[in-house]
Amino acid sequence: MKVLTLENIELTYPQSRFEKKKGLEPSSIGPINLEFEDSEVVGIIGRNGSGKSTLLRIMGGVFPPDEGKVKIAGTISLLAGVGVGFNKNLTGLENTYLYASLMGWKKVEIEREVDDIIKFSELSHHFSRPIRTYSSGMKARLGISVATAFRPNILLIDEVLGVGDASFRKKSERRVREMIDGSGTVIIVSHSQGFMMEICDRIILMDQGKIVDVGEPKDIYNTYSKLLKNTSLD
Amino acid sequence: MNTSTDTQSLQIMWTKKKAIHAPFGLISENFRNRELIFRLIRRDLDSRFRGPLLGYSWAIIEPLLLALVYSFVFGIIVGRSDPLYPAIVMIGVIGWSLFARCLTGTTKTLVSNASLFQFTKIPKSVFAISNMLTNYFLSCVSLLALIPFIYLNDISIQPTYILVPILLFLLSLCGTSLGLIIAPTAVRIPDLVNIVQFLARVGFFLSPVMWTYSMLSGKFGTGNFLILAHLNPVIVPITDMRDIILGQESNIPLYGYSMFVGITLIFYLVGSINFYMRAHKMVVGL
Repeated sequence: MKVLTLENIELTYPQSRFEKKKGLEPSSIGPINLEFEDSEVVGIIGRNGSGKSTLLRIMGGVFPPDEGKVKIAGTISLLAGVGVGFNKNLTGLENTYLYASLMGWKKVEIEREVDDIIKFSELSHHFSRPIRTYSSGMKARLGISVATAFRPNILLIDEVLGVGDASFRKKSERRVREMIDGSGTVIIVSHSQGFMMEICDRIILMDQGKIVDVGEPKDIYNTYSKLLKNTSLD
Repeated sequence: MNTSTDTQSLQIMWTKKKAIHAPFGLISENFRNRELIFRLIRRDLDSRFRGPLLGYSWAIIEPLLLALVYSFVFGIIVGRSDPLYPAIVMIGVIGWSLFARCLTGTTKTLVSNASLFQFTKIPKSVFAISNMLTNYFLSCVSLLALIPFIYLNDISIQPTYILVPILLFLLSLCGTSLGLIIAPTAVRIPDLVNIVQFLARVGFFLSPVMWTYSMLSGKFGTGNFLILAHLNPVIVPITDMRDIILGQESNIPLYGYSMFVGITLIFYLVGSINFYMRAHKMVVGL
């Protein structure tokens, strides 16, 4: 069953007056047509600036496309920028509620997950302290614990697994795997080839805002290697 | 698996926004997100008042101290001996600060929350409205600083006092709406934020903070200049609050009230349409 479709999606980034004056081409993506089925895990790869994160944000309802339609069945959540929106003067618990609210979750949904968030973050003794007393690793733990606590029908993940120390990174990766098992559909952007090859049913390769290829992970990584080689030769 | 019935449950995520829906659309999207607005207000209040020893008392102490300083300067040095002058100044400070904070806060709302707007689909206006309500709440609390003046000058509390929070609300709406007009453009032209901040400082002297409406009408009579002066949307509400709180007769002409309400309404209509139609696009890739 289709849970997400993108029809002729196009988006051009607004330009500053300085960029216009310099005659710089505006960054854009599209036209993009994609369909995602229920319970599939799809990866998006490509070079930096190829439009992966922008595409994910269009799917997540964060950026509105200039043209085209995004159709969705069920709830969708974007896991990105972990910890953005934290306030240093609020306690860990208050930030948990604030951050989850900013992600679009209601109080009753947050209350249901708060014990799990405290347990997963391993910060129980620090939850009543302002997060200005936290180390950056502790903030990352809190961020990823909140961000991964909820289970939408479609989960979008943008490079969030590299936070915290080595043991917490492993724990986060396990958590994402659990989410993948528990969620309907997962669309993930990551530079970790091993992880993507292991979990993805198919992979989308993007370059310069356009889709280059979609298919089996092994085939797409071969195409990606060739693309990188050709680019470096240029 | 890809049958036509399968796709029936799919819903379109983004529909083109229509300008005509903006004035009510802005209200309804904020009502839907009232829980988050409440949290953002708590966040802003806690960040400002949780650290200091005197906490929330600063909301009262600040306008009180400002009024005492202004009264000292203008009362003792310039020679105004009116015992109500500190209260007159304090009401002016509360009213003007509310308008200026709503205006400047809303003007930079898209810029200051830019990183957040790359990750959340929360309507952008939520942050402008939470800024407005935070400042409105603080202004209402600041009014408590007037109690000693009311008591010392034997002013009887009237039922019309209920109009004071309404006037403050209209002031905050007016400042926020003007900010909504400027905010989307300020994303691409950051100088606008500085210009608005400068105008807010200049506006302090052009508004009835240290002077009064009767001084203005006394100087310029009832001619065209006075009518023109009413284009400053803070003149009527600040004067009216003074008249109500200090139990004085209002000498604002009816056209003054009409101009204030009209300007606020125009600001809201233009601001809501401009923000509703442009804000979501302006923050892309900031």
